[in-house]
Amino acid sequence: MSQRKATIVKDFLWACTAAGFVAIILRFAYGLGATTGLSDTTPWGFWIGFDLLGGVALAAGGFTIAAAVYIFHLESYRPLLRSAILTAFLGYLSVIFALLCDLGLPWHIWKPMVNWQPHSVMFEVAWCVMLYTTVLSLEFAPVVLEHPWFRLPIFRAVLTLLKRLTLPLVILGIALSTLHQSSLGSLFLIVPYRLHPLWYSPIQPILFFVSAVALGLLTVTLEAFVSAYLYDHELPHGLLAGLGKVAAIVLWVYLALRIGDLIFRKLILAPFNGSWQGVLFLIELGLGALIPAILLSIPRVRRSPIGLGTSAILGVSGIILNRLSVSVIAQYRPPETAYFPSLSELLISLGVLSAIGLVFLFIVETFNVFGAPEKHELDQSVSSPVSYAFQDDLWRNHILRRSFVVVLVIAATFALLPSQIVEGRMMPSTEVRSAVGGDILWIDGNRNEEGVRFEHQKHIERQRQQATNEETACAVCHHLSKPGDQATPCWECHRDMYLPTSIFDHTFHQQALGGNVSCSECHIGEHIADSAVGCNECHETMASKESTTVKFNYAARGYVDALHDQCVSCHKREATAQNKENLPRCPTCHRAEGAPPGVRRLLSLSNP
Amino acid sequence: MIGILVDVTRCIGCRECVAACVNANRLGKNIPLPQHSADGLSSQRWVSVISRPGERYVRKSCLHCLEPACVSACPVGAMQKTPAGPVVYDASLCMGCRYCMMACPYGVPRYDWDHLVPYVRKCTLCYSRLKEGKLPACVEACPTQALAFGQRSELLSQAHRLIRSEPMKFVQTVYGEHEAGGTLILYISDIPLDWLGYHVAPGPTPLPDYTALAMSLVAPTSLGVMALMAGTWWVIQRRMKLMGARADSSEGETQ
Repeated sequence: MSQRKATIVKDFLWACTAAGFVAIILRFAYGLGATTGLSDTTPWGFWIGFDLLGGVALAAGGFTIAAAVYIFHLESYRPLLRSAILTAFLGYLSVIFALLCDLGLPWHIWKPMVNWQPHSVMFEVAWCVMLYTTVLSLEFAPVVLEHPWFRLPIFRAVLTLLKRLTLPLVILGIALSTLHQSSLGSLFLIVPYRLHPLWYSPIQPILFFVSAVALGLLTVTLEAFVSAYLYDHELPHGLLAGLGKVAAIVLWVYLALRIGDLIFRKLILAPFNGSWQGVLFLIELGLGALIPAILLSIPRVRRSPIGLGTSAILGVSGIILNRLSVSVIAQYRPPETAYFPSLSELLISLGVLSAIGLVFLFIVETFNVFGAPEKHELDQSVSSPVSYAFQDDLWRNHILRRSFVVVLVIAATFALLPSQIVEGRMMPSTEVRSAVGGDILWIDGNRNEEGVRFEHQKHIERQRQQATNEETACAVCHHLSKPGDQATPCWECHRDMYLPTSIFDHTFHQQALGGNVSCSECHIGEHIADSAVGCNECHETMASKESTTVKFNYAARGYVDALHDQCVSCHKREATAQNKENLPRCPTCHRAEGAPPGVRRLLSLSNP
Repeated sequence: MIGILVDVTRCIGCRECVAACVNANRLGKNIPLPQHSADGLSSQRWVSVISRPGERYVRKSCLHCLEPACVSACPVGAMQKTPAGPVVYDASLCMGCRYCMMACPYGVPRYDWDHLVPYVRKCTLCYSRLKEGKLPACVEACPTQALAFGQRSELLSQAHRLIRSEPMKFVQTVYGEHEAGGTLILYISDIPLDWLGYHVAPGPTPLPDYTALAMSLVAPTSLGVMALMAGTWWVIQRRMKLMGARADSSEGETQ
C-alpha cells in the first residue's frame, strides 16, 4: 500500500529534522564562527547559495502556474495549481528559517520594515520575501479554510472574500515574484571585482528571473512525480509534457541570454581556457541547461516519465548549481581561505528542508491539495483523496518508533559532529618558540617576523648598576624560576602566544607528595585551585621578591600579554624618570629592520 | 570632506598606528582564527600594516569611499556615510546579513565571528574623536609623518605636488583618487598598490552605480507586470466570453 511508502519517507524526514534541530541549537549556542565554515572572505556560504537563492528559485513554480491558470486561462493546469502554490509557500518559509540561522542578529530581521533604504537591493529582497510570503499564504488559505474544521461562518466569510480576491492576489504575486527573482540577481551587480567574469553579468537580474521560471516549472514536474509515487496517483502525463515543453522554451531563452551575454562581453572562449571555473561553467550550463533543453524539445522524450524526470532533475540541479556558483563557488577568495560548508551548515539545510517536507505531507494529507475543486464549488466540504492518513491512526501508531528514531538521531548527531561544533570553539593554540641570540636576543615567539630586538646584555648591566644585590638583578625580570633553575626564560612558562597555559603539574606534585593522602599538604579546606598554597611556600627560591609582576598563578598568561605587560610597564616608569618619551612606544623595541643578521642565519638553519 | 594621505615611502612599519587604534577603540586581543584573512584586519584590528617585499609597509584600513558600496548595500542603514566623510556603522540597526562585507571592493568590513551577538567591525576614521576636535588616533600616533590628516582636496593637491616633485621615486598616480569613485584615504607610493583591492584594483566607477539602474527599474517593472497581467487576463477572458456567447447563440436564444 502507498501508506507504507509514505511512512518510510516520513520516518526519514523526522530523522533529518532531528539532526537539523541539534545543529540549529548548537548554531545559536556557539555562534557562527564555531559552527560554520564562513569567514571574513566568505561572508555568504551554503545557506545563502542553496537555501536562500535556490529555495526562492524553486518556489517560482507558484507564480508561473498561477499565471497559466488565472491569467492565461489555461484551465487544464488547474490540477497542479494548489500543490505549486503550496510548494512556493513552504519554499519561502524554508528560506526564512534558513535566513534566521544565517543572520548574525536574527532578532533584528524586522529592521528593514522601519528603516527604509530604497537604494539597497537587499532592502528590496527583504520586502519581496515578506510581501510575497504573505500573498502566498493568502493564495493558499482557501485550501485550508475549505476543510470541515473551519465550518464556522466567520471562516466561511473569509474564504468567500479570499476567493473573490484571487485574481488581484495572483497579479500581485506575479509582480512580486518578478521583482524578487530578479532582485536576487541584482544583489550580485555590486560585486564586479569579486565574482568571476563568467558569472558576473550586467544582466544578472534577467538571467535569474528567466532561469527561475524554468526551475519553477521543472520543480512542479518533479513534485508531481514525488506525490504520484508516494500516494500512487496517476501521473498527469499530458500536463507534465506541456510543462516540459514550456520549460524547454524557457531554457532555450536562458541559454541564448547567457551565451549572448558572454559574446557581448567578449568572453565566449573563456569557458574553454582550462581553468576550474571554465569547467564548472561548462558543467553548469551544459548538463544543467543545454541537455535538459534538448531533451525536453523532443516530444517523445518529454512524454516518457523517464525522459521527463531525468531532464527535470538535470535542470533543477543545474540552476541550483548556478545559484551556488554565483554566491559562493565563483567568488574570488585568497588561496589560504578556502571555503567548504561545515557539517552543521549542511545539517541545518537538510533539517529545514525535511521539516518543510513533513509540513508538506501533513498538508496534502489533510487538505484537498491535489483534487482541486471546480471554480465555484465553495460550500461543499470536499474530502481530500489522500486524507485518510490523518483520519487513520497513522500518526499515533508511529509515535513510539519515531520518538525512538528521533532520540537516537539526536544522540548520534551530538556524537558525530566535530568537537568544535558541539563544544564551541577551542581557541587555536600558537606554540611559543624560544628567543634566539646572545647579547641581543631576538624575541619572536611565533616567528612571524614582527619580533623584538632585545638588548639583553645592556638590560643586565643596567640592572646590576641599579640593584642593591647583584645576585637578584636577574630576578627583576625573571620573576619565577623553575626549581633548580636560576633565570627561567619567558617562553618556558608562557607557552602560548595569546592564551593562558597551565604551568603546574598537579599529578606530579600529588604523586611526589604521597598520592591521595597528600591533598591537605597544599589545599586548605576544599580541593580547589583557590585553596592551594603558593609555590614559594615550599620552593623558597622560586618566586623572586624583586619582581613587580604576579608571583604565582597556576596558569601563565599568553606570551604577548605577559611580555608587553612586563616590558612596557617598566619602560613607562623609566620614560617619566629619564624624560625619554619614546621609551614605551612600539618602534623602540619592534624595529622595522627585523632580526639581527646573525640571528637570521640561525633561524634560517633551524626553520628551512 | 576630510581625508588621510598615506606616504608609503615614509612608513617604517612600526605599527604605532595599530597600537593607537587598539587603544582608542578599546579593541580586544587579536587571536589568529581561521576566519581571518591574511591582510591583518579582523574584528579586533581595524587598521593593519602589511609588509611588502623590499622593506615596504602599507597601512590598510577602511578607505572610506566617496560613494561607499557598503552604505548602498546595507538594507537597514546601519552603514552610513557622514557628511564630513567617514563611513560609520550603527550596530543597533544591523541585522547581520553581511551584504556590506560582500559589497566592499577592498574586503574591509570584518565580522565578530566568535560572538553570539556579532557585529560588523571596521575603521570609522575615529569619528567620535573627530567630533571632539582630535586627530584620528593612527595619524596622531605616527612617528614619521607617514600619515597626514586634512581636507581631501588639499591632500590630493599635496599628493600630486609630491609625486611630481620626485618622478623617479614615486609611482605617478595617487591611489584612492579615482578607485571605486575615489576614497578619503589616499596613498602615494614607490611600489604599485594594485593588490590593495579585494581581488583586483577597483575601476573608477563608484560601485553603487552598478545597482542603481536595477533599483530604478523596480517601480516601473512592478507596475508594468501588473498592468500586463491584468490586461492579458481581461483580453483572454473577454475573448472566451465572446466565444461562449457565440456558442450559446448557435444553440438557440433562450432566456
